[in-house]
Amino acid sequence: MTSLRRALWLLAAAGLVAGAVPLALTFGSDHLEVRALNAVFGPLIGWAFIATGLFAWWRRPENRFGALMTAVGFAWCASGLTVADEPGVFIAGLLLGTLPYGFLVHMLLAFPRGVLEGRLAIAVVALIYFLTTVMQVAWVLVYDTTREDCGCPPNPILLWDQQGVADLITGAQSALGLLVIAGLIVELYRRLHGVSRLQRRGLVPVIFTGVVLAAALALTLVADLTGVSGPVEDAIDIAGLCLLAMVPFAFLAGLLSTRVSRAGAVGDLVTRLADAPERGELRDALAEALGDESLMLAYWLPDSDAYVDARGQPVTLPQTGSSRAVSHVEREGRRVASIVYDATLAEDDPGLVDAVGSAAALALDNERLDAELRARVEELRASRMRVIEVGMEERRGLERNLHDGAQQRLVSLAITLRTARSRLNGNDDGASELLEGAGQELDLAISELRELARGIHPAVLSDRGLPAALESLAARSPVPVEVGAVPPDRLPKPVELAAYYVISEALTNVVRYARATYATVDVVRNDGHVLVEVGDDGVGGADPERGTGLRGLKDRVGALEGSLAVESEPGRGTRVRASIPCG
Amino acid sequence: MPISVLIVDDHPSFRASARMLLECEGYEVVGEAVDGAQALAEAARLTPDVVLLDVGLPDLDGFEVTSRLAGNGGPAVVLTSSRECCDYGSLAERSGARGFITKAELSGARLGALLA
Repeated sequence: MTSLRRALWLLAAAGLVAGAVPLALTFGSDHLEVRALNAVFGPLIGWAFIATGLFAWWRRPENRFGALMTAVGFAWCASGLTVADEPGVFIAGLLLGTLPYGFLVHMLLAFPRGVLEGRLAIAVVALIYFLTTVMQVAWVLVYDTTREDCGCPPNPILLWDQQGVADLITGAQSALGLLVIAGLIVELYRRLHGVSRLQRRGLVPVIFTGVVLAAALALTLVADLTGVSGPVEDAIDIAGLCLLAMVPFAFLAGLLSTRVSRAGAVGDLVTRLADAPERGELRDALAEALGDESLMLAYWLPDSDAYVDARGQPVTLPQTGSSRAVSHVEREGRRVASIVYDATLAEDDPGLVDAVGSAAALALDNERLDAELRARVEELRASRMRVIEVGMEERRGLERNLHDGAQQRLVSLAITLRTARSRLNGNDDGASELLEGAGQELDLAISELRELARGIHPAVLSDRGLPAALESLAARSPVPVEVGAVPPDRLPKPVELAAYYVISEALTNVVRYARATYATVDVVRNDGHVLVEVGDDGVGGADPERGTGLRGLKDRVGALEGSLAVESEPGRGTRVRASIPCG
Repeated sequence: MPISVLIVDDHPSFRASARMLLECEGYEVVGEAVDGAQALAEAARLTPDVVLLDVGLPDLDGFEVTSRLAGNGGPAVVLTSSRECCDYGSLAERSGARGFITKAELSGARLGALLA
């Protein structure tokens, strides 16, 4: 037996005696009004606190909470000594009479970790200890116990018989007691909202009982202050005692409900995994088995040396020392996944999550493969996107080089030729005609170069955005084009370019094949997507699977995770619709 | 008195050939500017009759410079570009410029027709 267990057994024995002494004294007392009540509640409450306190102490030795609970029990038994007829014992009971409430408030505020957190909690506990010790002793020193004709023994430490001062101290204790209760309720309420769901499950019975008890104590104090007496006061007192008796059991319930049995959790999980869970259900199964809704799974990808979630998105594990704990799951000697869970889960049974993780290792490994595949797909998508972006930038640079270089030189040459021609003034032996011919050739070359550059990259689009670019497309089109709504703000470059190419290609097809009298273009931004629609009143019958134009558009839009649809019944015009995701 | 012209373009080869052509055809080229800011300063200093303005300037947008120049009694602005006018949709019309001449088609006669 460890020294802790031996000490706890000794305390248990002492607790048995501590409860039995006032019980024995109760039957011999000659100044007791409600003997039966004391006989039942005195030892019951004391023993309940001591027993549950020692249990909690044994389960979590490092947590001072169990010790506090035991202290409440002992103090309660000690306060029962007031039933004694021997003046020394009687006065000891009176001195310790309110101390159980000091420990009780301290305990309620220290649940569940055994330490006080926050200034309000510390202030409330300091105040209640002041009330129950310093003020209580001061009161005993000036209170004549024989005055009230209760048959009580005389006060052997009465220094100064001052009924007025004694009443004043009692009044102050009651008033300050109300303040403590108010602080207690505020703090308990606040605590309930600042914890994880897992912790809350254990806190609820405790805090509920604590708040109801505090309210009953407040009623007792108000009754004291206002001088209510008779059956009403008795009823309030009895209600308060009943609630007090319930407190340890509420704490026991709270402690037990946060415990998850290892065998139960593993059994549950194995049953659920037998039904071959879908993606994402594995997490739910583990969360349910462990009773931790916040549980998260991270799958290990050895190739990329990183963790991903079930969708293949990268995740990072929490720092050690946070309120989250991590359990690594291995299968056949290699890491498969990590379970991130609420650290309080491990308080009762540090091996619990590891055991559950081992039971789920095969399912985790399967889902890991799935996640790996998803991560690869995601990687491919990103690299396709990069290829498109790089290609786009290269074409843009090429167009700019053509525009700023060769095109400018040819333009200057054309102007120079024209200048030369105007300087000849006729006396030129046909040189003027030669120059004019050269000028015309040059103009053709410039115009061809311009078309080439525009085909490489639509500079108007990157310089001025979609509205201007579409207006330019419409202006150059031989078929009248009505440009409807176009988002005025700039779209992401690849999206803008894909939309432009869809429209440009669709309009080219209208001119080439549709025999239409007009075409319409609309671009709408809606719900994170850009919707592009090009319609005409032509002959229809376009087949998107034939011809490279529409096929290329599908690829371009598909690379951006978008979709392209062509609706073209013979005789009913053609409608090309593209939907491109856009942040 | 010849019509005074300010040529604005960031390409020196175009400025030189345009100056030669316009001077040859009876215009007086009073200055040159390489970007939008300089164009605004030089136009204020030289008060030319016409500003021949490239659309694609390195700092300001040519249409923006046009709307700043063309307001209340400023010079006539004629836009130019190695691209075609329809590349810019209706921007040239809306900017308040007197007209647009594609660079390769620049001549004294075209300019004169726009100013008439």
